[in-house]
Amino acid sequence: MTEKFYYDNKIVRNFAIATIVWGIVGMTVGLLVAMQLFKPALNMGSQYTTFGRIRPLHTNAVIFAFVGNAIFMGVYYSLQRLLKARMFSDALSSIHFWGWQLIIVATAITLPLGLTTAHEYAEMEWPIDIAITLIWVVFGINMFGTIIKRREKHMYVAIWFYIATFVTVAVLHITNSIQLPISAFKSYYLYAGVQDALVQWWYGHNAVAFFLTTPYLGMMYYYLPKMAGRPVYSYKLSILHFWSLIFIYIWAGPHHLLYTSLPGWAQSLGVAFSIMLIAPSWGGMINGLLTLRGAWDKVREDPKLKFMVVGITAYGMATFEGPMLALKQINAIAHYTDWIVAHVHVGALGWNGFLTFGILYWLIPRIFNTNLYSKKLASFHFWIGTLGIIFYAVPLYFAGFTQGLMWKEFTAEGVLKYPNFLETVIQIIPMYMLRALGGALYLIGVIVMTYNLYKTMVLGKLVANEPAEAQALTADYVAQGAEKKWHRVLERKPMVFMVLSLVVILIGGMIEMMPTFTIKSNVPTISSVKPYTPLELHGRDVYIREGCVNCHSQMIRPFRSETERYGEYSKAGEFVYDHPFLWGSKRTGPDLQREGGKYGNAWHYNHLYDPQTMSPGSIMPPYEWLIDQTLDTTTTVAKINAMRTLGVPYPEGFEYEANARLDEQAKAIAADLKQNNIKVKSDKEIIAIIAYLQRLGTDIKAK
Amino acid sequence: MNEAVNSGWSTGSTSVDIVIGLMLVTAIIILCVSILMLKVIKFYIKESTNPTRFATPEEKARLKQEEEAALALIPKKPSIWSKLMQLKPLEEEKDLVMEHKFDGIAELNNPTPAWFMVLFYATIIFAIGYLLNYHVFGTGKLQDEEYVVELEQAEEAKLAFLANPVNAASAVNENNIELSKEDAVIKSGASLFANRCTPCHGDHAQGIVGPNLTDEYWLHGGTVKEVFKTIKYGVPEKGMIAWEKSLSAQQIADITNYVLSLQGSNPAGAKAPQGDKL
Repeated sequence: MTEKFYYDNKIVRNFAIATIVWGIVGMTVGLLVAMQLFKPALNMGSQYTTFGRIRPLHTNAVIFAFVGNAIFMGVYYSLQRLLKARMFSDALSSIHFWGWQLIIVATAITLPLGLTTAHEYAEMEWPIDIAITLIWVVFGINMFGTIIKRREKHMYVAIWFYIATFVTVAVLHITNSIQLPISAFKSYYLYAGVQDALVQWWYGHNAVAFFLTTPYLGMMYYYLPKMAGRPVYSYKLSILHFWSLIFIYIWAGPHHLLYTSLPGWAQSLGVAFSIMLIAPSWGGMINGLLTLRGAWDKVREDPKLKFMVVGITAYGMATFEGPMLALKQINAIAHYTDWIVAHVHVGALGWNGFLTFGILYWLIPRIFNTNLYSKKLASFHFWIGTLGIIFYAVPLYFAGFTQGLMWKEFTAEGVLKYPNFLETVIQIIPMYMLRALGGALYLIGVIVMTYNLYKTMVLGKLVANEPAEAQALTADYVAQGAEKKWHRVLERKPMVFMVLSLVVILIGGMIEMMPTFTIKSNVPTISSVKPYTPLELHGRDVYIREGCVNCHSQMIRPFRSETERYGEYSKAGEFVYDHPFLWGSKRTGPDLQREGGKYGNAWHYNHLYDPQTMSPGSIMPPYEWLIDQTLDTTTTVAKINAMRTLGVPYPEGFEYEANARLDEQAKAIAADLKQNNIKVKSDKEIIAIIAYLQRLGTDIKAK
Repeated sequence: MNEAVNSGWSTGSTSVDIVIGLMLVTAIIILCVSILMLKVIKFYIKESTNPTRFATPEEKARLKQEEEAALALIPKKPSIWSKLMQLKPLEEEKDLVMEHKFDGIAELNNPTPAWFMVLFYATIIFAIGYLLNYHVFGTGKLQDEEYVVELEQAEEAKLAFLANPVNAASAVNENNIELSKEDAVIKSGASLFANRCTPCHGDHAQGIVGPNLTDEYWLHGGTVKEVFKTIKYGVPEKGMIAWEKSLSAQQIADITNYVLSLQGSNPAGAKAPQGDKL
């Protein structure tokens, strides 16, 4: 008995348009931040457009707006067809679409305003985090509803990846977002220091795994064979690499924290699992590339397939480089440099970008029932995009390698060869310019694609409801022969499949996190480490608001080059009151962990007012507004209370005398500045941030 | 572009690098010539033991046709790539197609390639070895131990460097420094000063945030030994940076001598005297 039904193409079109629009927005902001690195004046003198605030805007826009919408586009189109069913609920589809766009808009407004939690790739404040959770659940219900109502007995490999994506992102997002709100737009993470770092990088690494990788592998498994007209190379390989990928990936997060204060055993687990990740990742690549066997003549003339092939190759390169970067000897040079930035962009521009473009070129003509407007323009897009990736990555690899080695070089007399951090930055500025050129080429390609796809849409007409028919599933199914094998059985049981995926991904995270949270010896306490004063606490929040963490690390690694440059290396016990941790992930400026007491207050004042006067050639933008803006001390009580709830030992009743103490410390700093001919009122934000900077790392300094 | 990168690859001496490069090129040329020679010898032996019959153009064409026909009968050998990847010939694909299709997508039941499984197992063995090495047998050094070793090695290298009489200038410290008015010293001191000291002390040492260095008043002593000491260890509570980690002893000595050479230069806009008169 065949049933007639309709595929919903309208929602696919909506997500496709959102992908393109946000893609252009995210990449344009990316180009702007790239140019600010060699021309800081491009912040246009505004606090809302400085690097620290809009760099997170770029990363979130590209990951969650561009790639996010592309995932939903890809999933909503392929899921319906692979399951022979319309999406479970049109209303949920619509709520999902508009909810996601609202979240993006809210993020795009709040991040430049400085409302940030400082967790990389999860900077949004708590109300947006809750909205993300709700919309993700909507997506989940819609997806599982469709799976349950399917007319296809078995779930195809693409759907396995979609399921793993859904459950894991939910677990990651919720675990990483546990915060204590103190107002509508301000909250503190529950975890502190080392533990917070572990949670954030477990999240950050697995956002790459389960937002940028697994859904795209799923999409590859649908769109590539469709485009090439070839069977998938190996079903066995699909099974093997799916389960090993999701099991192993979740363990690898600590490789972002090598040589930090994270306990050694956790670091080693991160390295070991990163190495084991090579084969499972490559399983996806070879299954994709071998699917093209016998169809390479098509690749030669079809831009869509070219995009797919370069995308898959970029994936292969990035997933080989990742484990190599996880080896501590290589990590010691690459970490904190632009090498890492180049690495992630090979993945983002190549794998996510090119696969998205390939799918768009295939899908848009199909749902508009027409042909692509211009194959030539698509070809042009392919070449300029590829050139863009090369121009982006090669100079940055060189810059990262150069700077990493310069940091470590000593003279024969045993002194750092480049003691002035700035020297190592000035050396790589030409590379930053080339990188921005690469980004610009890539963006031009996307704009050409937009024109091409717009013309295609105008040429055709959207088939909003595409008719289809299929046999209904019968309840009396009896498995025969090969259908009795365990994985075939699993492919008929979506809920069991989901639970099994959940268990598989929970194992690694639990084993790594539980001991760090519960066993005291993992974070040895230091008695001289004391809570921040109220003024320093406020200063820290200004530091977070301005996104200083995007350029400055607070983690001195146990290398001679670092202890000579910055001072004693960081200890786990120093960060027990740091909600959130602020170790950073990339050094555009020097480390600040031992900044306290290194320079006078006047130096900091002048440096924040105009960095070039104190460090000629600096690429840090001026922060004049800190001098004009008055510190908001109305939140002091709430902040102290929140800290106490999180375990910071402020004495009883301290919150009521906090503002008096704050005032006292601020006045002392203002008086000191006055002695150096700097007149500034003690209630300004700059006083608070100076207080914070002067406190950094002083608790364990030998007197 | 920069020495840091080059130093890992070159010997540091251009002439030696060129010789090494030339030797490499020569070796490659010799290799190519040898291969060619081998081919010529093989051909010569083959032709002398079993000479090819001289043929007219028509005969040649016919022979070629026959040869091609014969070749077509022999089954095609798999390419090196196919062998490496352990790929089954495309003609056998139909036997591998699984019975089920998803939205028109068929799947082949190819086995996972053996090389892939070898890679997978090898990484697992490596991972186990890694963990055993660092956390069970304790043979690998964890980061804190690595750091101690790194410092020890640096200290040894430094002592060896200073023990060499050629490097005596680097052994200068706050106890043995002596005032110098040599041109080379003052010049070197001036250029170091221009980079590092001007933000606080001004380009003519007239004093900005930091004190005027050209008058007779000193906050931390104005003898050559005291100035050297102030530069080396800094006065962090007053904002003077300790330079010992970023300047060599000799460089600090040069700056000291330069600063002292500025005494009484009376620059424009000098800051009011601070500290005690020398």
